[in-house]
Amino acid sequence: MRKTKPAATMILVGACVLVWAPILLMAAASLMPEDELYWRYLSPLGLGRDRVRATFLPSYPSGEALVELLIRSPGFFVMFWNSCIQVIPMAAGQLLAAAPASWAFARFRFPGKKALFGIYVILMVLPFQVTQVSNYLVLDHLGILDSHLALILPGIWSTLPVYIMTKAFETIPEALLEAARLDGAGEFYSFFHVGLPLGYPGIATAMMLGFVDGWNALEQPITYLKDKSLWPLALYLPNIAEDKAAVAFAAALITCLLPVLVYLNCQEELEQGIAASGVKQ
Amino acid sequence: MRKKITPWLFLAPSLLGVIGFMGIPFLDVIRRSFLDVMGRSFVGAANYQAVWRNEAFLLAAGNTLRFLAVCIPLLMAVSLGLALLLAGKAKEARDYGIIRTTMVLPLAVPAASMVLIWKMVLCRDGVLNQWLSGLTGELWDTDWAFSGHAFPVLTATYLWKHTGYDMILWLAGLAGIPDEMYEAARIDGAGAMARFRYITVPCLAGTFCLVGILSVVNSFRVYREAYLLAGPYPDASIYLIPHLFAHWFLNLDIQKMTAAAVIITAAFLIPGGLGWLLARILSAGERKGE
Amino acid sequence: MRRIYKKLEAWALAIGLAAGILGGCGRNQTAPEAGSTRPVQETTQGDEEKGKREAKEESREPGAKGRYRETEVKLPEEIENQTFLWFGRGEEGRLELFTMEWDTAWGAQSSVADSFRYVCKDGTWEKSEDWPGGKAAKDRGLDPICIEYGLDGHFYIGGVDESYRFHLLKMEEDGTANELLEEVFLPAEGSTYGMVPPRIQVLENENILIYDYWEVYLYEPSGRRLLSITKDFSGTTSDARGFYENQEFVTMQDGKGVRYDLKTGKITETIDCEEVTGDREHSEFLFGDGAGGIYMAAEAGLSHINRGGTMWEVLIDGSLTHMGMRSLSLRGFGAGDHDDYYGVFSEEGKGVRLFHYEYDPDMAAVPPSSLTVYSLQDNSTVRQAASQFQSQHPDVRVEVRTAVESGGTATEEIIQGLNTELLSGKGADILILDGLPIEAYVEKGILMDIRDIMAELENSGDMLNNILGGFKETDGCVYMIPARIGFPMIIGEEKAVNAYSGLKAMTEYQGEKPLLAVENYENLLRMTAFVRYEELFGTEKGLADRDTLIWYLKSVKAIGEASGCQTSFTKEEMEAMWVSNHVAPTGIVGRSTSYDAGRCDSGLEYMDGYGGLLIPAAVRDLHPESKMVAAGSVYMPSAMAGINNATANEELAKEFIRCLLSYDVQKEELYDGLPVNKKALKAIAEVDKPYSTGVGNGDYHISAEYPSLEVRMEVADMTEHLTVPAILDETVMDMVAEGSMEYFDGRQSVEEAADGILRKLAIYLAE
Repeated sequence: MRKTKPAATMILVGACVLVWAPILLMAAASLMPEDELYWRYLSPLGLGRDRVRATFLPSYPSGEALVELLIRSPGFFVMFWNSCIQVIPMAAGQLLAAAPASWAFARFRFPGKKALFGIYVILMVLPFQVTQVSNYLVLDHLGILDSHLALILPGIWSTLPVYIMTKAFETIPEALLEAARLDGAGEFYSFFHVGLPLGYPGIATAMMLGFVDGWNALEQPITYLKDKSLWPLALYLPNIAEDKAAVAFAAALITCLLPVLVYLNCQEELEQGIAASGVKQ
Repeated sequence: MRKKITPWLFLAPSLLGVIGFMGIPFLDVIRRSFLDVMGRSFVGAANYQAVWRNEAFLLAAGNTLRFLAVCIPLLMAVSLGLALLLAGKAKEARDYGIIRTTMVLPLAVPAASMVLIWKMVLCRDGVLNQWLSGLTGELWDTDWAFSGHAFPVLTATYLWKHTGYDMILWLAGLAGIPDEMYEAARIDGAGAMARFRYITVPCLAGTFCLVGILSVVNSFRVYREAYLLAGPYPDASIYLIPHLFAHWFLNLDIQKMTAAAVIITAAFLIPGGLGWLLARILSAGERKGE
Repeated sequence: MRRIYKKLEAWALAIGLAAGILGGCGRNQTAPEAGSTRPVQETTQGDEEKGKREAKEESREPGAKGRYRETEVKLPEEIENQTFLWFGRGEEGRLELFTMEWDTAWGAQSSVADSFRYVCKDGTWEKSEDWPGGKAAKDRGLDPICIEYGLDGHFYIGGVDESYRFHLLKMEEDGTANELLEEVFLPAEGSTYGMVPPRIQVLENENILIYDYWEVYLYEPSGRRLLSITKDFSGTTSDARGFYENQEFVTMQDGKGVRYDLKTGKITETIDCEEVTGDREHSEFLFGDGAGGIYMAAEAGLSHINRGGTMWEVLIDGSLTHMGMRSLSLRGFGAGDHDDYYGVFSEEGKGVRLFHYEYDPDMAAVPPSSLTVYSLQDNSTVRQAASQFQSQHPDVRVEVRTAVESGGTATEEIIQGLNTELLSGKGADILILDGLPIEAYVEKGILMDIRDIMAELENSGDMLNNILGGFKETDGCVYMIPARIGFPMIIGEEKAVNAYSGLKAMTEYQGEKPLLAVENYENLLRMTAFVRYEELFGTEKGLADRDTLIWYLKSVKAIGEASGCQTSFTKEEMEAMWVSNHVAPTGIVGRSTSYDAGRCDSGLEYMDGYGGLLIPAAVRDLHPESKMVAAGSVYMPSAMAGINNATANEELAKEFIRCLLSYDVQKEELYDGLPVNKKALKAIAEVDKPYSTGVGNGDYHISAEYPSLEVRMEVADMTEHLTVPAILDETVMDMVAEGSMEYFDGRQSVEEAADGILRKLAIYLAE
């Protein structure tokens, strides 16, 4: 057994503090009344020059911003719902499309595999702007601009999940598949009963990333959705009037809530997946 | 016969969609790179020449390369280090989930609000200057997001956001290494360094590739932070390819943008392709030798 | 640990779900069905959803027929000079309209306003002499405030006496009047004024609903208060946000419709209505359908919802009618007898206008052709033109798309989204170019050459040709024409005014006091860039020339130091120096008061409407030695309209631009700039308005009346000499502002600052 190293613990705790500190600053800001916010953060808000009085504890805590957001802004809910409608089917679709493809890339040999995989990687790295106009034309031809599908369909065939899942499937030891094959299992059986369970960490990772990406996407909805009633939550923040700083912080907090939840859910699976793969080896 | 078709069956759902939603647009990008702005007439390589001679492009490409060269190794090293520490811990106690969760939080925070927090810390009246003034007794009033400090600031925000995620990937990779290998090595008398060098490193090769490529993908996204933090025209040291693309797009210079995208893609492809070819030739030579 | 997670998760999920459900219902079911213009069907609740679905499908069908046709109802001519009082069903269920007119013949002091009654008989409106209420009020010296035909079959009239105390009169059958609720309207102890309700409503049982600005009260005739209900503030003088029907009261609270049961005083229903109210504030009008349903008339149109319903049905699309026109204010709305509606509006200079909405089964449900106008920010003149255009072309639907909500900022992504459409050969037919990358659009051939319209306009003689001239490219092409302008105007003595002739003169100005009022540096930077636009941007390189840039920065600093400018101010400084950190797009905040108070030798104002002329004109009057002149020949154009080359509706688009610049649209004063139509400019100038204003700070105070015709004409004449449109490159201005602050703070030398700016500028230009 290894010894407990205090230094290691210190570093890990330090890293956590570094992560939490800014997030707590944000949370505290979302609980401040407007006056306090301006008194503390005049400079960063670009309203003038004054010493920043950063704090994790608001002097006059107020739920006003949250109330304003959750009760008085029906638009916020509409956008929250839109985000769900757009992102959940997208993530599900990614799983359905990417998992089998990744299996093929990871476990089969076929002509052109490397080239094809290379193309997938290139498509993954390409910034959105580059293909924005061309994508728009494709969606226009399909007649799905200005609908949720305009975000869901291209999102499903993002190549990033394929890449991540392929890497995950590649780590499954050939011996296990060999064993399954000897038991007379077909390719599809192997995929469902060996690949999916053992590749779970990778699949969960890919889906989580896909979810977060979809959730925070800005350019796609702005470009493809003219109808503002379809806009997702990610567009709420940039659209908050400048004089509503407190609401902006509150909105940020709630915006990241769902992705964090998804992670918490995935994490459990992730650990189980890791554990499972550990056991079976 | 069945065997040959099986992989394609697996691939089909993805391939069809990718061709439709990614492939066709990408081919269109290549096509457009040879056309004028509105895509009406063929201009040959004029766009490529324009891009290649464009000083802004050269600057942005250089900066981007520098950013990748500094940030990606740094990010990978830091995240691997944390993963190793955590993996070491996790084997003893299972409840390090909170650290893992903590580390991926930054990914979920929208950039627009995160940048406000960075400004609180980094602006001239910000927390960092206050600390430094307190520590040194001198008055600090640097605007960190601007001027020569912009590059490290951007690197830091990039690390803050992506370290946790990469750490998770490393952890998954580490979990895939069977404990027995370490046990066997330990029995053989290998020290911690040796075990790292001869077991961990080789076993993580696949993960290395994964983390590396994902870091490249994410590095293009650092633009949003850079833009919100330092405006559309930041200090010349963090003027990156996405800045240039954004401005070209604003000014409808799509022909330049597509040409530049093709150039960049080629820049990625050519070394990769050559390497592959070389490997092919070498292995062929070996086989002949046998 | 795990358990804490689980709890957290459960909570968060609960919140999320609640959000989802709330939002989901809101989104899916209250979404108005634009274009589904059919008469309301009295459906039961069960059928409702089905009915709505049908309506939806029907509306999607191309070529679907059936729409409410809007026609203006001719009212007796004298109404042009009258003010709206009440519209609704009066005796024998006939539609009646009440107006009032200030009797000016008796001298302004002693006059008491008359009220008039108009009754609709068989479709024609006639003045009715049978209106004892008018006399009753006048005899008591009351200026009418509200009139109501109570459900008890009596007329009620409320008015204020000379001490602005409200009195409510009930008209009896014999023509006599009885005052009611006298006690209620007495000023409360310690206050000067009592309640002056803009509207009252009388129930069947003679109980009285009194609408105050924030609240509604229910009184018994005896004076006992039964209920008080809060509601959203209503700024109009005919409080429209509420109605009574069948022992229920419907009003607005926090932007939602709420239904009260008056017997219990409890809320029985809350109705989301965000989607049908439109962007214009305080302009909704609610009324009942007699069966528990609610009608809402607003800028967005007329919508209806059944009791307990979750989805509004849009009956009349406001953007296709006068309802969407910004120069009109909605005052009343009501249902006719045959599936038709009446809308009453007030309009400055036109008194009251009445429109009739009849269902025409043969009219296309949605106008067969459409025209899209894209604008980054909402623009009243463009909206006005859209409505005007639509009323002239009933078969065309004009859709105004604004990218940014009011108060929001236009981000890169929004413009990139627009560019994607344009590059795909699509996009709106008309582009309002304010804030868009104009140069790139011109260069890339996005905009159509509209020199034909330009020539037409120039030859008409109605336009300010000096302004139009600024939009001709050197090769004669014309890509855009502005609909509104504003210009910088100086008030000061000759010596100070002359100093504005050049940046050098400004820096070298020697007077008793500084030339300019204290200001933050960014405003100063922008103001000088605007006022001295030709000098700074007239050369080929503009600010990219190092010497020009250094000279510019040095000059700004010299001017700033003379006036005590700073890059930013603390709260205390702001109060003491009458300054703020706010940055105006033109850099001009309006400083004639500083001149008046003797703090500087000249005041600069941004003149974009006669409303802004009150204070400067008063200041000039107080200083007989001072002049009021335009600062050179620069002006800032706005609502610049161009046509997308890819439009399929070229003729319509051109027609729209003609409409935008036409006298009819331009003459409306919408407080977004001065007209470019000379005739309209003069027409606006000629109208006398009873406006007055006052501002003060500490001991200083100035009050001002609406300036005289002479002064108004003076300003109108100034616009004829404006020839240089100053369209500042915001990217460059931001770079300069950002890069120069350290210099202005004294932390950098001018060379360092200039080189920093030039480095960025070089990248910008290289792109």
